[in-house]
Amino acid sequence: MIIDIAAQGGFGGISAAQMRKTIDVEDQPEQMRQELCDAFEPDELARLARQPCGDCADRMTYLITVTENSETHRFTLREAQIPPEMLDLIDQM
Amino acid sequence: MSLFCCGHGAHHPITCIVPPYMLRVLALRGDPRTAEMARTLLKQTERLRDERAELMEAGLPPAQPLGTTAVAPVQDLCCPDRRIHDGQHKAALPGKLVRSEGDGPTGIPDADTAYEAAGQVFSLFAEEYGRNSLDGQGMPLVATVHHRRDYNNSFWNGTQMAYGTGDGKIFRTFLELSVIGHEMAHGVIQHSGGLIYENQSGALNESIADVFGSLSLQRALGQEVHQADWLVGRGILGPGINGAALRSMKAPGTAYSDDLLGQDPQPWHMDHFVTTTDDNGGVHINSGIPNHAFYLFCAYLGGRAWELPGRVWYRALQTLNNPMASFADWADQTMDAAIELTGRGSYETIMLRRAWKLVGIAI
Repeated sequence: MIIDIAAQGGFGGISAAQMRKTIDVEDQPEQMRQELCDAFEPDELARLARQPCGDCADRMTYLITVTENSETHRFTLREAQIPPEMLDLIDQM
Repeated sequence: MSLFCCGHGAHHPITCIVPPYMLRVLALRGDPRTAEMARTLLKQTERLRDERAELMEAGLPPAQPLGTTAVAPVQDLCCPDRRIHDGQHKAALPGKLVRSEGDGPTGIPDADTAYEAAGQVFSLFAEEYGRNSLDGQGMPLVATVHHRRDYNNSFWNGTQMAYGTGDGKIFRTFLELSVIGHEMAHGVIQHSGGLIYENQSGALNESIADVFGSLSLQRALGQEVHQADWLVGRGILGPGINGAALRSMKAPGTAYSDDLLGQDPQPWHMDHFVTTTDDNGGVHINSGIPNHAFYLFCAYLGGRAWELPGRVWYRALQTLNNPMASFADWADQTMDAAIELTGRGSYETIMLRRAWKLVGIAI
């Protein structure tokens, strides 16, 4: 599973300053691998994308692409839709 | 003239009116009850002086001198209820409470800056516009510092403020008064009817937040229009970034020019309005247009921007009642507010019309 995350928005609104991360889950240590697989499972991401966003002033938007077995899934998630544990995981990646 | 203050401890209406030398006389010559009250107020004044000394040491400007407000405050409007948390570099909010209202400094620089700055912003809205906190009802000012790891952002989430530390390369901090005022102003906007956070209404949301962020800083520094730099986020960019700030209201498009970040993309005129799907329709980009109109209005009038110009913008926000407002709608609303405050055909309304015209918006 390959996870690609590109962020945009935020207080600065500077596109060139935004975070971009690509990670091959298979290369990660066992515990991290399991956490990533659980958090970025496409059905779970689809569920999060349907959550209400709330107030989004200055918050980031994450464009997440998950590629697995030649299938690609793309999601746009607002920061407010992502659970804190998953945001911590993104920060660790 | 101010009838209240925002220092530690109990509020007393006489605190901000009676100068210390007079309190000393009252403490010496007043009847027992008056003398006791004067001694209590003198102690409060000393605490405020100590607090200002701490602010100066922390690099924050002192509060506005007492007794210089432009609008009489509403009754029962007194003091902020600040609650600063340490997020400990995690995403869960609000994190560990480290400083509540009236507590002394924590020794955590970001937490102490967030606390002092929240007091400055509260003071702007309370003393100048008669607003009791972000919701007008005295809501607690909840903030989290050290939010997430190397987080290049700060935000208002609908109930509280959160500030990252920056990654040290692109951003070095978000604890700066115009930024803190910006985030808190998002709370005021939300509780004033709100502005949908996309396209022109979103850019207005951003611009109004910049306006009150800048006014918070100018008022705290005691700067008149021509003394202020009109920068938002001065000094928050990383040490290797070629830029003075994140945005310039005086000269949108000139805040930074850097190999990594590129050129500040903000336009100052409708001819250069940026159409994009990024950033919720360019809310942080096109805000340069109404930002510049506000700057021009202030520059034409001179004096203190947080007084008449700030009151016009605040009044317009309170009466807008249109979450999808366009720039033109907002310009009309500011004109209505200016007429209400200064009269039809006044010099101020003529200058306001000129300011909007100069950025390409006819009213």
